[in-house]
Amino acid sequence: MTDVDHRYAELDTELCAPASGSLADLLERVLDKGVVIAGDIKIDLLDIELLTIRLRLFIASVDTAKKAGIDWWETDPALSSRAARDELAEENARLRAQLDALAEAAEEPTGAVR
Amino acid sequence: MSGRPAGPAAPGLVCAFAVTRTPPDPAVLAATTGHEEGGPLRVLHTDGLCLLVQDVPTALFDDEALAERLGRPDDLERCARAHHRGVEAAGGQGRSVVPLPLATLYHGDRSARQAVASRAAELGALLARLHGRTEWAVKVHAAEPASRAAVTPAGAGTGGRAYLSRASARSRDRQDSHAKALAEAEAVDAELRRYAVAATRHRPQSERLTGRRSPQLLNCAYLVEDAEGAAFARALTGLTTDRAYPAVDISASGPWIPYSFARWDEESWARREHTRQEVRS
Repeated sequence: MTDVDHRYAELDTELCAPASGSLADLLERVLDKGVVIAGDIKIDLLDIELLTIRLRLFIASVDTAKKAGIDWWETDPALSSRAARDELAEENARLRAQLDALAEAAEEPTGAVR
Repeated sequence: MSGRPAGPAAPGLVCAFAVTRTPPDPAVLAATTGHEEGGPLRVLHTDGLCLLVQDVPTALFDDEALAERLGRPDDLERCARAHHRGVEAAGGQGRSVVPLPLATLYHGDRSARQAVASRAAELGALLARLHGRTEWAVKVHAAEPASRAAVTPAGAGTGGRAYLSRASARSRDRQDSHAKALAEAEAVDAELRRYAVAATRHRPQSERLTGRRSPQLLNCAYLVEDAEGAAFARALTGLTTDRAYPAVDISASGPWIPYSFARWDEESWARREHTRQEVRS
């Protein structure tokens, strides 16, 4: 909770810039919150969450990926078709193994009795 | 064809950041860069209110150009940070500030002033309400499962029945721990509300957005009086260090300009603050 400890000391003095880690918090506020007084120009934005996810991916791919080994999007089936295929293949293999085990278990007693 | 010459005389757009009652500090404005592509930050006055604005080029900020730019991650981040810089420059020194959303744009000073003038009374009331208060963002996630490998003990029977019973035990555990985490998240929220004038819940962020493997249970914002700020921060620190709620992870950021509480719904505001006073007395 270093974030809070850090802010705590400064609480009475000034509004501090948010931690760089809270970019999602920032976008959530800047894009979606605040009072709307009719502007002359209407911007049709994509879904804010989608925009934020893209931004997160972008940032992760640029700088954190190499130093932290972050690769969650590669293994996330929703984001990577390769991950989706891997997951299906894995599940397939697991189910086959279970099926074999069940078949074995079903055969064993019959074999033993007769 | 309509023959307006391009160049320095070409009309730009006016990008608005925030509304204040007292004018922002000129030195702070001079030292702050809003959108990098635009001019210096300046203040429009109308109906006893100040609107912080910046001239920006039409070619980059009209509806088409901006929608396209905001669809690009790097531009989106730059724009969001620029907007936030402007909003923060408007505040400071305890000045109450009503932030406007990113991309609030006008064809000129006149229509920008008109927009503020048309809501002057409500903006004034909102400024009074937000005065001396800041926002804290608090997110509560289910704690990461201790270890996934531990749930499949090696050699604990390979038969189908053993597998099925393991699987159903696992799903039961998952449900139990999710229910426990939810209950703890509610308890955390109840504790923090004690120090807040108002609280609101945003839609929890998806795992794709947070990058965590465990779900986000609560995405809350609390509006906290400056006088209660230290107590709020202490409560937050206590909640995380004492580990009174081991089924959840709590993370926070703040203090923020109260973006989440800059809203028009005055009635629900009044009701909420009234209830709170009753509870306290």
